[in-house]
Amino acid sequence: MSGIEAFTPKGMLHKGWSAQVEDYAITCGWVLQGKAFLVGDSAGGIYSFEGKSGDVIWKKQEVHKGGLLAMSIHPDGKSFATAGQDGRVMIWDSKEGELIKDLDLGQGWAEHIQWSPDGKFLAVTLSRYVYVFCANGQEQWRSDQHPSTASAIAWSNSNELATACYGRVTFFDVISDKVNQKLEWQGSLVSMVLSPDGDIVACGSQDNSVHFWRRSTAQDAEMTGYPGKPSQLAFDSTGTVLATGGSDRVTVWSFQGDGPEGTAPGELTLHTDSISSLAFSNSGMLLASGSRDGSVFAWFLQKNGQGDPVGGAFAGELVSQIAWRPDDGALAAVNAIGGITIWEFKVRTKSAPQGFA
Amino acid sequence: MNTEQKVPVTILTGFLGSGKTTLLNRILSEEHGKRIAVIENEYGEVGIDQGLVINADEEVFEMSNGCICCTVRGDLIRVLGNLMKRRDKFDYVLVETTGLADPGPVAQTFFMDDEIREEFSLDGIVTLVDAAHIEQQLGRSDESAEQVAFADVLVLNKTDLVSDESLDNLESRLRDMNRMARVIRSKQADVSINTVLNLSAFDLDQVLQRRPTFLEPEYPFEWTGVFSLKEGRYELTLEEGPDPTMSLVLLLDQDKDETALNNGAESCVRLYAEQEQPMNPGDIVPVGRHVSLQLQSKGTKSFFIDIDKARDIGLFTQHTAEEFNMKLTKVNTPSNDELNNDRNISIIPPIAERTWVAEHEHDDEVGSFAIERVGDVDPDKLNKWLSRLLSEKGVDIFRTKGFISYAGESRRIVFQGVHMLFTAQPDKEWGSEPRRNQLVFIGRNLDEEEMTKEFDKCLV
Repeated sequence: MSGIEAFTPKGMLHKGWSAQVEDYAITCGWVLQGKAFLVGDSAGGIYSFEGKSGDVIWKKQEVHKGGLLAMSIHPDGKSFATAGQDGRVMIWDSKEGELIKDLDLGQGWAEHIQWSPDGKFLAVTLSRYVYVFCANGQEQWRSDQHPSTASAIAWSNSNELATACYGRVTFFDVISDKVNQKLEWQGSLVSMVLSPDGDIVACGSQDNSVHFWRRSTAQDAEMTGYPGKPSQLAFDSTGTVLATGGSDRVTVWSFQGDGPEGTAPGELTLHTDSISSLAFSNSGMLLASGSRDGSVFAWFLQKNGQGDPVGGAFAGELVSQIAWRPDDGALAAVNAIGGITIWEFKVRTKSAPQGFA
Repeated sequence: MNTEQKVPVTILTGFLGSGKTTLLNRILSEEHGKRIAVIENEYGEVGIDQGLVINADEEVFEMSNGCICCTVRGDLIRVLGNLMKRRDKFDYVLVETTGLADPGPVAQTFFMDDEIREEFSLDGIVTLVDAAHIEQQLGRSDESAEQVAFADVLVLNKTDLVSDESLDNLESRLRDMNRMARVIRSKQADVSINTVLNLSAFDLDQVLQRRPTFLEPEYPFEWTGVFSLKEGRYELTLEEGPDPTMSLVLLLDQDKDETALNNGAESCVRLYAEQEQPMNPGDIVPVGRHVSLQLQSKGTKSFFIDIDKARDIGLFTQHTAEEFNMKLTKVNTPSNDELNNDRNISIIPPIAERTWVAEHEHDDEVGSFAIERVGDVDPDKLNKWLSRLLSEKGVDIFRTKGFISYAGESRRIVFQGVHMLFTAQPDKEWGSEPRRNQLVFIGRNLDEEEMTKEFDKCLV
């Protein structure tokens, strides 16, 4: 926490509820159409909170020995999966918190986990390998050994999985076990997102740049000049703009027209420390950003990447993840000391709408 | 949760069989009140079943700019990034590297990655050396030399397998390569934990306390003999020795007391810096010149010294007289032939001898030196010079450490660097302490003279 004092929610963010988990909250998400909110902490605890009140519905402790590393919520919201330092993948029922499947992948960290868009497959990384399981826990596909640890995964469609590691992004067809495409670039890729149509691949790199490729034209470009590592990346639901971290400002690249090559990005400046989380609303051009300084801002973006703040709030400590409720009517932030804060996101009803102060 | 203080990290390096795992287990089993997270390499020799142990593949990542100085350990960034989230579970980190690891990328990780740098501080690099095998290893691989060069602490292990004499030689060789490191001898990695953890290794004060002589001058010659001679010609004979050539300086009127010897040595340092003049057997050695005796031919080699009147002379030689069985004898002239018919060869013993701490005894490519100067430096000039130096020579400069007195700054500036990366941070107040600069470089084929000259240009 630096350079910022606590402040009350402003603009379209209004006080909702808050709660606390025992350790560093590393992941969160809404399930059951927003009726419940899940939080995973670094000690391996999972908590389900009632979406409106914040009451604890159920909680589990130390589900992953050594710690939890990742969580992915099934597209239908009825189940979710967790992965951890124990090399295990667990599939859970959202409502009761019952363990549905417990998969032991072996020694190593199960570090990244992602449901396919249709919810049929669950992809997970274990050091240099990537596994794909069916929803019933049966192994569908397993990658060959990657040249280095898989640092990110993303589904480009329901059958095609992209993996990032040092020096390359690879697209695998998990049904036919084929490599569809390999994009190479010498650099340590630390994060990856795909545009919703799967054409644009954007990767944050250890050397403070964002590298991206257009799969259809095989064009690639590198966006440099970040003061830090752009680990946070987010595409809006239309694939028009890419929001990136890597500094205390949100840098937004617009893919409109010939962009973003040769264009100046939009820059959203209010945070006082590095961006630690980014999330686009489920529909529309609303972006939420969280920072190491504990501040959270919501922004309304234009297609050219420029944007204006529409709400701000203080979450107390490094914001490790933020999540919009499926109806975009609430925003949740979890932080490095296990603090959970939910804000209602709406236009003020009692008094006239106010600008951002 | 205390997040203000950085978590200290110790890097443990050393070749396979040098005793890393033994040391690691000792550290973990000892009562030291620390909760240590261990990041062990994938080939961890023996299972460690205590505490928080994480296995990591050693993944060295180069950056897209292709600069080898910008390599980092990707696995460490990932593992430490996750450990950060569990800071209440440990208060110290130990990173064990595989035997063949280059310590550069490991150390650089703590400089290159902002998030890591904010949470962790490199406390020190401990290198275990297998006393019985390091000589071979140094001959065979660059990595072992680099592991020695990077160390803050060198644990000379398995000393029971080696004679005291070769241990002394080995220690002197290692010190030559890395003058900053503290050398500890052990049999079975049985060293005190305090000597390897919480070193704050970059604190030069400590280093100087440990080894006050560390900045003493080293001489390019090993031996001085003072001879009391009368007028006439003298023959200097040398047998076969360790080198095909040997440098020598002849000074006239060299007194034998300590002060005179030191003064003579000082002037010889300057003479030694000049281009040497080759001397073949049979030549006459000039006075006050840096000469290189050519000793390639077999058998006894003779050189001559002419003395115009009775006086004491000093011979400053690159190696000791003993190594070449060097002798000085008077050459009989016809006149004293009459007095002494049997071509008397009486060896003239020196009236005083002195051996000096010699530099570069071992011809290792890897070495270290220190620049020490009183006064202030101009920060801009120094930064410009260091940036240029490290960008040009960063590949060969493994570590840079020291403190500097900036003009107009009341605090000492602590410098530390790994290859091209360096940081300069204000440290304690100078107070009444005399302001001075001490900068140590460890690296391969360093040009001490040139670097010292450039540093001097930065002085105010």
